[in-house]
Amino acid sequence: MTAIPGAGQVLPTDEGAPAGPGRGPRRGRRAGGWSFDTVSFFVVFLGLPLALFLVFVIWPFAQAAFYALTNWSGFTTEFDVVGLANFTTLLQDPRFTNAVGNSVMFGLFIPFITIVIALTFAILITVGGSGRGQVRGVRGSGFYRVVSLFPYVIPAIAVGIMWRLILDPSNGLVNGILTGLGLERFQSFAWLGNVGTAMPVTMFVVVWGFVGFYMLLFIAAIKGVPSEIYEAARIDGAGRWRTSWSITLPLIRDNVQTAYIYLGIIALDLFVYVQALNPQGGPDNSTLVMSQQLFRTAFTEGKFGYASAMGVAMAVVTLVFAALVFTVNRLAGGRSERGRA
Amino acid sequence: MTRNFTTDKSMTTSEPSRRSVLRAVMYTAAAVPFGLPLAACATGGGGGEDEQSASPGGTVDAKNPFGMAENTTIDAVIFDGGYGVDYVEFAGTVLAGLHDGSSVKVSPSTQIATELQPRFVGGNPPDLVDNSGAQSIGFNTILDQLEDLTDVIDAPNVEGTTIRDTLYEGVLEPGTYGDKFAALNYVLTVYGVWYSGTLFEKNGWQPPTTWEEAKALGAEAKKADKYLFLWGTEAATYYQTLAIESAIKEGGDEVRLALENLKPDCWSHDALQATFSIMKEIVDAGYFKPGGSGTQFTAAQAQWSNKQEALLYPSGSWIENEMKDQTADDFQMKGVPSFSVTANAAMPATALHLTAGEPFIVPSQAKSVAGGKELLRVMLSKEAATNFSKTKLAPTIVKDIVPEDGFGSTALVSQTEMLSGAGSDIFTFNFVNTYGMNQEQLPIWNSFLDGKKSVADLTKELQAITDRIANDDTIEKIEVS
Repeated sequence: MTAIPGAGQVLPTDEGAPAGPGRGPRRGRRAGGWSFDTVSFFVVFLGLPLALFLVFVIWPFAQAAFYALTNWSGFTTEFDVVGLANFTTLLQDPRFTNAVGNSVMFGLFIPFITIVIALTFAILITVGGSGRGQVRGVRGSGFYRVVSLFPYVIPAIAVGIMWRLILDPSNGLVNGILTGLGLERFQSFAWLGNVGTAMPVTMFVVVWGFVGFYMLLFIAAIKGVPSEIYEAARIDGAGRWRTSWSITLPLIRDNVQTAYIYLGIIALDLFVYVQALNPQGGPDNSTLVMSQQLFRTAFTEGKFGYASAMGVAMAVVTLVFAALVFTVNRLAGGRSERGRA
Repeated sequence: MTRNFTTDKSMTTSEPSRRSVLRAVMYTAAAVPFGLPLAACATGGGGGEDEQSASPGGTVDAKNPFGMAENTTIDAVIFDGGYGVDYVEFAGTVLAGLHDGSSVKVSPSTQIATELQPRFVGGNPPDLVDNSGAQSIGFNTILDQLEDLTDVIDAPNVEGTTIRDTLYEGVLEPGTYGDKFAALNYVLTVYGVWYSGTLFEKNGWQPPTTWEEAKALGAEAKKADKYLFLWGTEAATYYQTLAIESAIKEGGDEVRLALENLKPDCWSHDALQATFSIMKEIVDAGYFKPGGSGTQFTAAQAQWSNKQEALLYPSGSWIENEMKDQTADDFQMKGVPSFSVTANAAMPATALHLTAGEPFIVPSQAKSVAGGKELLRVMLSKEAATNFSKTKLAPTIVKDIVPEDGFGSTALVSQTEMLSGAGSDIFTFNFVNTYGMNQEQLPIWNSFLDGKKSVADLTKELQAITDRIANDDTIEKIEVS
């Protein structure tokens, strides 16, 4: 929006030259915002993205919401509109409610654990170093920064497959090390095949994959905090804990919130990871998530209408999650725009 | 942009700030899962009706029984699984030789359902599809869009004999839904329990024929520091197949029909319960290699075929080809029919679970229905069938193709022996595939084989799946007799 007067400002120079052959003045005042510059600007920077957004985002959403009201099988051109029947079935479908439960567990734990670890590392790397002299990170922080990003560089599916091999009961690295240490009970222990361990292990793999990236995000945020603040705090006698809790965290609050929501969205989807680690849904379906159940319903059971209803439900769960994060942040005092300067 | 997101009340009071833009972006991102089921969407695309009457074109005679038009390019989408796609390409070359100017375009796929879904909706499906693999299209969803293939079976093959007379008995049943023969299953699949001939000979073991013998062999295996069975997490239901086979042998058609027609309490039938009980005894005795529920299934199978940590593995006859590269030297793979439960079973010990796999379908809306059928006809010729058996070491549904020496494969010889031993005592069942139950049954079987579930739990949970499908009116049922 602010670009309009900006583009207009170029024109008055023309207007101020009365000797012009009439071209300048005519266009100048009347057309105002409608010069070629302005129009092309609108088309390229507003029209095009908006069109793409409408066609590839909003229109599919609308279609999904519509198909959620039908009994479309997915393979024919015919279907009946069944109203909200799909949603009532959904509420009574133990397979889906179980999947929602699992997704919620992932959505609760993965963002929290990832952020705690990423934040801790970020603080150590940026301001957690020696208490004397300039404010800096621990020794070798540049090295840690690079290394910790490695997992994020690997595609999710490769992460899943790799960990599946590492966790293989008979030939995997994990059990190899554990039995090597004399822990015989891990001989052929199925980490992904026991109800008690399958979900924690899946969470671990996802966290492992994302910590590096979010650490980098927090490092960038902390770098944006003026170091005078840290120095002042240190002069006042604040230790590392105190600075982290009372200075770093409040000043990068917005970044933490953003990270929380993105991670929440990832955790509520999680399709690639669970499909690679436990394609059949895990022991007693303990790692079956909404997206997996959706895919199954659509493609193996041929119920696209019902699957679309699941998609809508998934979106609702995700929006509720985002709303919760905003609310919590606001209640915790995040409304005021401190540190914006 | 922010105006679109009117759901946020605070928005009306504040100027679009960096913060609210950020929030708007997040809402957008949060809505991403919405789009998920729409990987391929838009039902509006199909102009199928007018394409259906696509010109039959060619003249109908014994050399071209379906009247395929001249210069047709047949579009075939073939599941690229254990058998690859080269056997269809081979048939394509033969077809090109028979019909000047026509050719076959073979497209391999491992995701049949996701890849072909938009084409079915759009009204331009391929001429021939091998609807197989984990991502195959459920038959009850597309049944009314498929050609009845009876005319292929009644046509003369390339050599001039009627195709029906060249096929094994019972191989058309797996592709028959109600009264429609919708899928031609090309590969003959013999189910059994497989073992290493060399290993058994060396130790003086006999392959078991009853579950009691199997249990006794388990004790022997323990002494040799091996296990009787092992399993992989995606293939835990192979043991369900084995259990159902044993139960059908024990209780006869009664068991089979109850399961197939989703009858209440079908899993509580005495024959099934007896089988489950003895399996449970074997599980509890520790004769199953632990950790299967966390092991990828081909990795597990390699522990049997390569490391020989377990003696027996229940599977279909595809196992030899599937594990070709991961089988110990001089393994000498052989098979026996699934075990009987008691001596006075309804069917003899030689009775065999025989079915045909790799269902080939011809969609009615395909551009060249005749072309799809013609390619099938060529695949059923002696030349193409021999090529398949020779390169894949598996029999097709075409009889009298595999020679005495089984092209050098002990497993293939043993299949031929099992087939002749069984005579007419063959059976099959389809309900698991028809209703897509496998995915749901897998976790149950993983837990059972892990020793974490009792026979009662197993029965109850399997019955729950059957009951749910039986009571769901939106699922079309196929009556089996």
